[in-house]
Amino acid sequence: MGGEAMIEITICGRGGQGGVTLAKLIATTYFLRGKYVQAFGVYAAERSGAPLQAFVRVDDDEITNHNQVREPDHIVVLDRTLIVPGIASAMKTNGWVIINSPDPPESHQEHFAGMRVATVDATSIAVKSGLGTRAVPIVNTTMSGAIAKVFDLPIDDLLAGMEHLQFGGANATSAREAFDSVQTATLSGKVEHIERVPTNGEVPGLLDPDLGGMPKIRTGSWATRKPERQRLTPPCNHGCPAGNDVRGFVEAVGKEDYDQALGILLETSPLPGICGRVCPAPCMDACNRSEYDESVNIREIERYAADHGTLPTPTAPWREENVAVIGSGPAGLSASYHLAKLGYHVNLFEGEKELGGVLRTGIPEYRLPRDVLGREISFILQHGVKAHSGCFLSRGDLLALTHKYAAVFAATGLRDSRTINLGGGDSKSVFQGIDFLDRVRISGVRLDGKSVIVIGGGNTAIDAARSALRVGAHHVEIVYRRTLDQMPAIREEIKEAIDEGIKIHELVSPIRLDDNGARPTLICQRMKLGEEDESGRPRPIADTSEDAQFNMGCDCVILALGQTQDVSILPEGSEISDGQALLGLSGAPLFAGGDFATNEGTVTAAIGSGRKAALHIHRTLSGEDLFPQPSEPVAAPDKITMHIFSHEDRRDGGMIDAHDRRRSFTEVRVGYRDNPAEHPAVDEAQRCFSCGVCNSCDRCLEYCPEGVLLRDADGYSFDYGYCKGCGVCATECPRGVIFMSQL
Amino acid sequence: MARELVTGNHAAGNALALAGEANRNARGCCAGAYPITPQTEIIEYLRAFEFSKGSVIAVESEHSAMGVCIGASLAGGRSFTASSSNGLAYMVENVYAAGYYRLPIVMIAVNRTLGPPWNIWVDQGDSLMLRDAPWLQFYCDSHQDLVDTILLSFRVAEDPRVMLPALVAMDGFVTSHTQMVVNLPEQEKVDAFLPKCNVPHRLRHDHPTTVGGLTWPRETEHHRIEIQQAMDRVPEVLTEAIAEFQEVFGRKPAGTLVAEQTEDADTVIVACNTMARTLKNVIAERRAKGERIGMIRAKMFRPFPRSDFAAAIGSAKRVGVLDRNHSPGSGGIFWQEIATTLRGRSDVLLQDYLVGLGGGDVTPTVINEIIDDLVKRKESSEPVWKEVAA
Repeated sequence: MGGEAMIEITICGRGGQGGVTLAKLIATTYFLRGKYVQAFGVYAAERSGAPLQAFVRVDDDEITNHNQVREPDHIVVLDRTLIVPGIASAMKTNGWVIINSPDPPESHQEHFAGMRVATVDATSIAVKSGLGTRAVPIVNTTMSGAIAKVFDLPIDDLLAGMEHLQFGGANATSAREAFDSVQTATLSGKVEHIERVPTNGEVPGLLDPDLGGMPKIRTGSWATRKPERQRLTPPCNHGCPAGNDVRGFVEAVGKEDYDQALGILLETSPLPGICGRVCPAPCMDACNRSEYDESVNIREIERYAADHGTLPTPTAPWREENVAVIGSGPAGLSASYHLAKLGYHVNLFEGEKELGGVLRTGIPEYRLPRDVLGREISFILQHGVKAHSGCFLSRGDLLALTHKYAAVFAATGLRDSRTINLGGGDSKSVFQGIDFLDRVRISGVRLDGKSVIVIGGGNTAIDAARSALRVGAHHVEIVYRRTLDQMPAIREEIKEAIDEGIKIHELVSPIRLDDNGARPTLICQRMKLGEEDESGRPRPIADTSEDAQFNMGCDCVILALGQTQDVSILPEGSEISDGQALLGLSGAPLFAGGDFATNEGTVTAAIGSGRKAALHIHRTLSGEDLFPQPSEPVAAPDKITMHIFSHEDRRDGGMIDAHDRRRSFTEVRVGYRDNPAEHPAVDEAQRCFSCGVCNSCDRCLEYCPEGVLLRDADGYSFDYGYCKGCGVCATECPRGVIFMSQL
Repeated sequence: MARELVTGNHAAGNALALAGEANRNARGCCAGAYPITPQTEIIEYLRAFEFSKGSVIAVESEHSAMGVCIGASLAGGRSFTASSSNGLAYMVENVYAAGYYRLPIVMIAVNRTLGPPWNIWVDQGDSLMLRDAPWLQFYCDSHQDLVDTILLSFRVAEDPRVMLPALVAMDGFVTSHTQMVVNLPEQEKVDAFLPKCNVPHRLRHDHPTTVGGLTWPRETEHHRIEIQQAMDRVPEVLTEAIAEFQEVFGRKPAGTLVAEQTEDADTVIVACNTMARTLKNVIAERRAKGERIGMIRAKMFRPFPRSDFAAAIGSAKRVGVLDRNHSPGSGGIFWQEIATTLRGRSDVLLQDYLVGLGGGDVTPTVINEIIDDLVKRKESSEPVWKEVAA
């Protein structure tokens, strides 16, 4: 080019393809040949994949032009998809159009008639050499080889330029391959000049509400990934035996919509006020927030929703079928409620005088006030459920029911208490825990001034111990053969019992009761932990050291060792299948549920069991399957971007002071107390991560650098025509709702 | 000298580093650094440079970056930094402090439009926002001008007759991100050109004092007068520095302004930075067609060289100013300054053109249209907006 006019080159590429570096490489190659050069790109808000232009000027004299190149001598096209009509219209005559294309020059006749065209399959060469990926190939150095060949630049000069810029290896071999394989041709026809329409349109003013944000850039076919939305199962929902939409009602409380929260709960459980008080809350054990600070206090929130939401108007039965439910514990109540809501006439049979089963007989009033129990039972009955209390049914009665009703559900709970032989036969000093609780409730038994030992580690043990205090016991102790942290009772209840002054002896097993003296003595054995047993816990074994046996004086002993089913009501030879349906009967379908069938031992499991029975019965009677569809995978903790949330301690509900409550059956826990400055239930509900379920937090929308997220009825949608697949939305979604899929 | 192909940012970073390193046998150098587009490469260059005596401290904001420079300079070190646009705006309080403390800090301003709405492209509004700060200001049209002016700035700013900070501006992207051929000086020559940095009022262990305490109006007035007097001495100091620069580097950098073909010109156009390079090409073409037209490249903005402008304009009848900046409610800032220069000259038609704001590409065509408008004029008007296509 000695003494020739300045040459100007325009490079058309996409962000990430290395167009500006290619300009620099061409300029450097000429610079090393002693030329004045200039290389620059047109910079925008940097977007990978966005169309961009870079320019090179080469001259023998100092270059004083700093404008963008308008009429290039040559055009280099790094990505064929950028070829639009008129792309080369402003090009000077006899220049080269050098295209990254697997096809021969002639195949580009449409846009470059009458021009000199060179093509090289730079993408294949670059990908083969490991320069970028097929989706995002870095073709700049490869293209430089083709450019050198077309410009009659010795390949060694180009390689010197590369070396100057510290490009070697694959870049150099790719350039050489392109140098050798570029095809050139002068296309037939005449150069057609297409006037490119200027894009200067009306500019919206700063005060124009439609000014909007960033200008959108159409991504067309070059995005390699796209964001999609999914719904995962929140771990709390997954962990709820009753099947509650836990996340849903917590979100509603967070929005102060207690009616909606209660409505969500009543979809699956008629006893939210009870569960909000006595549930061991497996949802809280499952809560992902416990991986971050503390689980959300779901139980207190449920209680708040049940106590503050308005109950909806009950429906009346509209179907013809009558269904019998035996047992008015949580399973029977749940089945009755769901059957009634499905339109069935329900007759509910209860052996006791009042409804409620274990809710009434087994849970002391200081944990579950009778008005709460009454309120929820009454709501169930308002659905047209006919209750028959004081109606203890025998096996024969049950069989009779199967001929009178369209279906029968038996949920008679646990009635046989487990016991151990403490020697000396039936001592007057020994009670069964469940009987004791019943007597406290009905006959107002007193233990004034007495010393009481409770044996066991479950909820009944804790309930019996705390009730004993409340009926006047002077001194209450619990002995448990395993360790404190292995007690199956609800953690909080254990702590409350200790706070009330009950002493718990762990790793102690009773041997016998010496009831012959003036005062009974319980002879005890210290235990230690051995190998794991079938439950996966270390087996307690007797400590063999000398002083491992000791005596505890007392006035009475309460056994709380658990209960078992009394299956005498069932027809002989019947078999529980699928946890529910009973086989081998001639009459109407008979189902069993609750602790009676499953012995899971919690109110929530019984509620779930009752609901399942109702759905079974409905399917049997109507053919309609209302069972929940198989749910999505559980949102594991690693799906949650926890650091986005600020650390916040769990809010506990209020509680009566230990000293004030230990002699009273007034409810110990008072729940969340609002004041003008604080709504603890709402604040606590807002701690929920909403794992795996979009709650329209707008974070994806706010962080999308392209502004291609749109709000719609389902939350958000993506404008894929403008989405570049950067994945910022998926990274920023705190709850694992957005994921990237390969295109 | 090494002839190299580098970006404007690289060239600026190199010049700053050479100047910092040149003080290694005195109290060293220290810079506060905070990145912003399009200046970031300068910060990267400085952070990667291994100074024999000194350091570049990464801070959390531009305000702190200038804070570091103030501290370093008060400790007697050679100090420098760089910023752009809204970053410069955030720095302003300490920018003024640096000047009123009389600290010879050198700052590169890579000109970028002030937002919002966000805009990363060139516009001189950011550095001209500092026109009332006690700082020298220089505007550079090329990579070479940039390197030379940075070295000159240290020399002039640190001169005991001046002792004021200096700002050196270049066009964002058009200069900062463009690869151009430039001669980068050797360290020994920079060592020879720049004397040891001596801040006479630097803080000393052996003579503990405080700086910047309360002063009464009378003292404040006096200090302002001192600053004006220091500004008044800049042209003389600059001229001396250029002469020595030429002796050391064998090349003569531009002074307060560059007048081209103004001697017999009826029409004179004023512009700065790369726009002046485009203008120069246009002037050459029009001269070739017989037009009596010349141009002035404005280089030093503070102190504003009124007498040099008056001399360069000479007997021209029309002066057009290309302002890539906008003072809302008034017009272009270079135009305002030239209007004060031409006070009393009722024979000159002075017209302002606001052009290339927000980074529009000011092509020869655009400049020709402006000149066509100017030469047809019988009288001047309010500043004219010359919009540029995208």
